[in-house]
Amino acid sequence: MKKSYDVIVVGSGVVGSSITYHLSEERNKEILSIDKDFPLSGTSGSTQAWVWVHNKTPAWYGELNMYSAELYSFLERKIGDVEYKRTGGIAPFFSEADREKALRLAEKQAEVGIKVEVLSRDEVLEKEPSLSRSIAGATYSKIDGNVNPFRLIELYIRAARKNGAKFSFYNPVMDITKENGLFKVTTQDGDYFSNQLVLAGGPWSKSLGKLLGIDVPIKQVRGQIVVTEPLRPFLSHTIGGVRQADNGEVLIGYSKEEVGYDLRSTLDIVQDTARMAIDFVPALEKVNVVRCFSGIRVMPEDGFPILGGIPGIEKGYIAAMHSGITLSPLVGTLMTELLSGGETSIDLERYSLNRFDSLQSIG
Amino acid sequence: MDKSTIVCRCEEINIDEIESAINLGARTFNDIKRLTRCGMGPCQAKCCMNLVRQIISDKTGQPLHEIRPPRMRVPLGVTRMGALAGSQASSVTSVFGESTEEGETVHEEKL
Amino acid sequence: MNTDLLIVGGGPAGLNAAYKAASNGLKTTVIDRWFTLGGQLNQQTQFYNNLPQHFENQRGYQLANYLIDRLRKLDVKILENHKMIGAYNNGSIGVTDGKSTFQVQAANVIMTTGAMEEPDIFPGWTLPGVMTAGAAQILINRERVLPGKRALILGSNNFALEVARQLNDCGVAVKGIVESRNELLSQNDELLCEVDIPVLLDSAIERAIGKGEVEKVYVNTDGIESVYDVDLICIAKGMTPIFEPFEIMSCDLTYQEKLGGWLPKYDSRFETTSPSVYIAGNAAGITNIGGILLTGEIAAASILEKSNAANSLKIEEEKKYLWGELYRIESAENPSALDARLDVIRNFHHETGIQLPVYLDSVFGGLTNG
Repeated sequence: MKKSYDVIVVGSGVVGSSITYHLSEERNKEILSIDKDFPLSGTSGSTQAWVWVHNKTPAWYGELNMYSAELYSFLERKIGDVEYKRTGGIAPFFSEADREKALRLAEKQAEVGIKVEVLSRDEVLEKEPSLSRSIAGATYSKIDGNVNPFRLIELYIRAARKNGAKFSFYNPVMDITKENGLFKVTTQDGDYFSNQLVLAGGPWSKSLGKLLGIDVPIKQVRGQIVVTEPLRPFLSHTIGGVRQADNGEVLIGYSKEEVGYDLRSTLDIVQDTARMAIDFVPALEKVNVVRCFSGIRVMPEDGFPILGGIPGIEKGYIAAMHSGITLSPLVGTLMTELLSGGETSIDLERYSLNRFDSLQSIG
Repeated sequence: MDKSTIVCRCEEINIDEIESAINLGARTFNDIKRLTRCGMGPCQAKCCMNLVRQIISDKTGQPLHEIRPPRMRVPLGVTRMGALAGSQASSVTSVFGESTEEGETVHEEKL
Repeated sequence: MNTDLLIVGGGPAGLNAAYKAASNGLKTTVIDRWFTLGGQLNQQTQFYNNLPQHFENQRGYQLANYLIDRLRKLDVKILENHKMIGAYNNGSIGVTDGKSTFQVQAANVIMTTGAMEEPDIFPGWTLPGVMTAGAAQILINRERVLPGKRALILGSNNFALEVARQLNDCGVAVKGIVESRNELLSQNDELLCEVDIPVLLDSAIERAIGKGEVEKVYVNTDGIESVYDVDLICIAKGMTPIFEPFEIMSCDLTYQEKLGGWLPKYDSRFETTSPSVYIAGNAAGITNIGGILLTGEIAAASILEKSNAANSLKIEEEKKYLWGELYRIESAENPSALDARLDVIRNFHHETGIQLPVYLDSVFGGLTNG
């Protein structure tokens, strides 16, 4: 394999492969994406894969998600059918006291153009008759939906390869240094050189950052998801915590645990998730659970994406975030604009690593 | 053998589909599983485990002792949701409004 | 629920382990996912003529009854229709009866999860009429149902020949034993004495066809195709240990082809890499009935030893005897599996730096020197 590239993207998950794909669209750069395992083996392959906007706050963060969700239909025309469905999103609440918060959310989101409705119990049940009669209401927005993450990443990679980008899998990055103005990326398979470097390591961003002497303030958060047998289609919306996939399986999950990179499923959480499933959709009591899975989510310390240049490291960039599935079309676009030296369509200042006090640069 | 021969009965995945995942670069059962759904059905790879490992070995030349089985998932065996839930109440009283004012959203997609 | 010892699986290994533990005073609980104990022994009609010396030679299902009756006389908690489905953060095991799920906190666990039959594929293998040899055996010996009228057996290990003979005895016309190698895998070919079953060496099933079920099977023998009008194909390609419950308990796995593939690592006490989680029976490597019984008993004896529940000198004497029997039976019936088993144990002790017990010198020495 060729040793020198214009850009090396470390990580081929949903964020890394989207950046690689969007960079490759310009067809003016030689790009290599390196992954320690295989795409989908980490966070991107263990997700409920919502494309979710409506109650992400504050509004400016909701807006970022909205722009990205809007790009999905355009993306599908370019890379193929990723089974993106704008189902509409329902976030139920169980107590009347939450209605006030819901109304405030709708008001705030309206300011940036996200249309959120606050539904009464009857209105929710009309949209989704299988939901529990014990809910009090829900927030709802048409913009939310979901996607098939396996198809999404496979098609990002296929499209990027078609545009000439190269991928190297099962190839851990062991060191990154700078030599004569070039990045030298030492991997298990040897050294690769590039002019620009993007860290898109998801939950491994912290250890990748260390190679460059920077602290990437993210946490690893485990989410456990319960999957049912395939059922006839009966849930038509993406519901906070519950969705039905195309093949009829229902995916349920809400949990968040900081346990490091531990992919085990524990009955403590699985049983609690089963109880929640029945609380939300009583009919699920009688269905079979076939499997559970865990994913390690990336959670920047303040919850918001880390995007942009790495302070003190010229031509070094980083993209690390929660909600990578929702944000990947936009992040790929913005990072391509940034690496191509142009103005980004959205000001990335707010998302810079600079905002964290803990940042230490070796320069 | 005929490439349309089924390997994973639960999800009806054939040899050809597994080989194209390998052609895409997949080298482990887990990675093939995510690309094809092979082994994701009710039997949870009990039947196809060694069949798929053999195909990986044949296609890539890796010895069988280096090809690990797929990650095992709870529950061991199909279990009714109600049996999992038991009679205790859920700890999730409302997933709404836990911290909508704190920047970290509650209903993020699970990524 | 609390117990001194939880045994997951009520087959011969689990039952024998439970007897050993409970008769020495350990509070013992046995769970089994089926409605009846005895595991695969229930449909074994063949006569076992090489059981450990403290057992009388007998038929499989008789042995199952013996093990069950013997255990029921003791104060043992037996939970049929209960399956292990996972583990909790605190390390306890989750068990369901299909209605609810509860935690079992056990000081020690022996998991005797057994083995499953390996499938083999060819075009048409998903047609009704294709089943494992074990499934055919359950149909004839337990359900009293003939699985077909005319059969081919794919594979030629001991079990394949045994099931071929049993099917033949029930009136199924066994048209052939299909083996891809140029000789039978079983050295025990007296199993085929007195029965008229053709052996097809250098042969493979090319495809099976039929409307809704197997009707015709194409067999390729050295490039020559022949057609068999059969309605049953029994696949007997060997067995592989069931290790998933061990993975849930965070036990490390190792690969040993001669023991059936991937299986948990274990030491000379049959303890896995997860402390207090023990293994026995076919889960610890595919073996014969003697090996299944003895590994269960050694695991239970080791737990007694650890728990000071029995006189330590007496236990050591017993373990010495049990290991001697294990060596005697496995070296006679399946020396390559014994070799692989000793490898697993030796590697474990090598990795942990813990010395093998002195009384095992003859067992391990005998093999390395021999």
